[in-house]
Amino acid sequence: MNKFLAVVKHEYKKVVLKWSFLIGTLLLPVMAVVFSVVPALIFSIKGEPTRIAIVDPTDNVASRLKANLSSEKMAERAKKAAEESLKNLSPDQQRQLETSAAQFQDNFIFVEVDPSGRSVEELRQSLLSRVSANEIDAYLIVPNDINAVDAVFEFRSRKSSDFISNETFRDALNSAVRSVRLANENISEEKLAELSRPIKFDAKGLDETGAEKDTSGVMIASFIIGLLIYITLAIYGQAIMGAVVEEKETRIAEILFSSARPFELMLGKLVGVGLAGLTQLGIWIATIAVVIGVMATQADFAPIMQSVPTISPLMIVCFMLFFLVGFFTYAAIFALVGSMVTSLQEGSQFAFPPIMLMLVGFYFSFAVIRDPGSTLSFWVSIAPFLAPITMPVRILAEMPPFWQILLSLGINVAAIAGLVWVTSRVYRVGMLMYGKRATIPEVWKWIRQA
Amino acid sequence: MDDKVTLQIRTVTKKFGEFTAVEDLSFDVRAGRVFGFLGPNGAGKTTTIRMIVGITFPDTGFIELNGERISHRVQNRIGYLPEERGLYKKMAVLDQLRYFAALKGVAGKEADKRIDHWLGRMELSDWKKKKTTDLSKGMQQKIQFIATVLHEPDILILDEPFSGLDPINVEFLMDVIAEYRSAEKTIIFSTHLMSTAEKLCHDILLINKARKVVSGSLREIKESYGQNLIAFRGTGAEDILSDTSFIERIVSHADEQELHLAKGVDPQELLKKMVDTGVVISKFERTEPSLNDIFIEKVKDKE
Repeated sequence: MNKFLAVVKHEYKKVVLKWSFLIGTLLLPVMAVVFSVVPALIFSIKGEPTRIAIVDPTDNVASRLKANLSSEKMAERAKKAAEESLKNLSPDQQRQLETSAAQFQDNFIFVEVDPSGRSVEELRQSLLSRVSANEIDAYLIVPNDINAVDAVFEFRSRKSSDFISNETFRDALNSAVRSVRLANENISEEKLAELSRPIKFDAKGLDETGAEKDTSGVMIASFIIGLLIYITLAIYGQAIMGAVVEEKETRIAEILFSSARPFELMLGKLVGVGLAGLTQLGIWIATIAVVIGVMATQADFAPIMQSVPTISPLMIVCFMLFFLVGFFTYAAIFALVGSMVTSLQEGSQFAFPPIMLMLVGFYFSFAVIRDPGSTLSFWVSIAPFLAPITMPVRILAEMPPFWQILLSLGINVAAIAGLVWVTSRVYRVGMLMYGKRATIPEVWKWIRQA
Repeated sequence: MDDKVTLQIRTVTKKFGEFTAVEDLSFDVRAGRVFGFLGPNGAGKTTTIRMIVGITFPDTGFIELNGERISHRVQNRIGYLPEERGLYKKMAVLDQLRYFAALKGVAGKEADKRIDHWLGRMELSDWKKKKTTDLSKGMQQKIQFIATVLHEPDILILDEPFSGLDPINVEFLMDVIAEYRSAEKTIIFSTHLMSTAEKLCHDILLINKARKVVSGSLREIKESYGQNLIAFRGTGAEDILSDTSFIERIVSHADEQELHLAKGVDPQELLKKMVDTGVVISKFERTEPSLNDIFIEKVKDKE
């Protein structure tokens, strides 16, 4: 037992104290933060205000447009949008919204233009020259008859790629023109708002028991968890294979086998590297939890937060368990391959079948995401080799009945027991065979004989 | 030969499928003596050693260390230096030694104390934190040797321990072996270099093609082969040397000849005859056959 623990400790330290582990462990959370937080930060940086000249023969549209682009109006709109997607705003979130709306305040500076009898063409030329002279950034020419079918609003801007401002501007213009038209038809703005109020579409999924749950975001989260497990299994599986091949190549196996039982050595290796993997996964889960926790207090992320599926501690326990199941399944296969081959290059060729198996599991997880309750989902989430990837995905998409999780664990643990048994037999013979790669019939013989 | 028998090998046979690697092998190894385990490549040396250290187990027969069958429990009392040496490439010397010690049941402060002691003795203390890839071949060999003795084994099995070592380190290793011998430990020394075996070993076992060929103390073996061998240097002996009733075979060395006398010829008689016929003798010495000769003769016999 002491020797087994010595092997576990040795293998654990060997993985965890490597630079690649540290980098890999830190890189993922850092990248997650970079990809989630940085774009939002960049977009929130206020651009230079756009200096805009408006040519409007009646000034009806222009005055309404200016009002629409005022900070009060902007704040009101943002609040309305937020209220539509969020049920309740906390006072804190309310304050956040107001500050972000205030940012729009100075986004547009209106430059007066005096049309005074000049033709549209003359005005356009003068505006263009002011743009070239860097006096204004953009201009808008409102057509004489805004009700005409072919009425065109000419908007030219040097900042044509500032899509956020352009979008805001277009919305404001649209609503300004609409209210001019309504006024012409003697319909009050309030009346229209009342009539054109959008319906409240309350879309939610139902789980087995008929309880409501949010489905938005589940798909992305399921995909991420499937991918994460697949990548981790592939990396750690190959790490195990590398370690086995090294011990074989350098003939360390001879010293090891003269010190401890091959079974102890192999199991110790699997457990040690498995714990290292669990450490990494734990760090990641903790980081994600912290990031989500921080995001939950920020109103800016409220719409994103809303779609993050609730993950219960039970789910995390399940993920950890299935990660371990997957780890032992594939690590045993990779260790078996490692003890058959003579070099790492040869090993990478033979790593193809287990990698394929993992990929199959990963692809099946798409079917599981689409319909977690289907018969196919049931079978692939209890099947050995596939379950380690498909079951966590299924749990996230829709919690299956508890007995199915237990059945899946049972089947997979039994498969692992068989695999470890086979691998330890191949390991104790294969590790002492030098010079040539073992053939499948040979390996079969070792399994039966040893 | 009153030293205690520590290792007993009895009627051991090991087969791999159709191939018999070791057949009906029996021998004893005694404490306080160096036991030379000799044989050509493929004779079954490695297979036998692997059975002694508990890597594989005999099909029939048994091996006992101090009266206890070889098992994983006994492994902690064995120190094994394999012929093919291996260290983890990217691991610090200290970490490797700690791991190998832990696998032999020595851990913690005790292990560190012993590691420091041995690294100091081998003049490798400065290399403690270095990785294997930073070490020279000879240094790696010494590290490997330290790993073999860290757990203070009762029996030391050294497979070609001198290959790749410079003369200073060979001398050093010999000293350590001598130390172990005087501490009444058991030492098995496997090699195909007969000259080294001759210098070191008290007992010899020669195996070839899975079977025992010669065994016993080096003294006895040599005596049993050394009855009729003369180292000769002189002039005017051509006639006598070509007389096959006296000389069976002559092996010429650089400045002397090795005369294999015919059966029943008394060296005394030959010397008298040489003196009588006026041969000028500068050297006439009864010698023992080298281990190499015995080895070659015995291995050839079987073919």
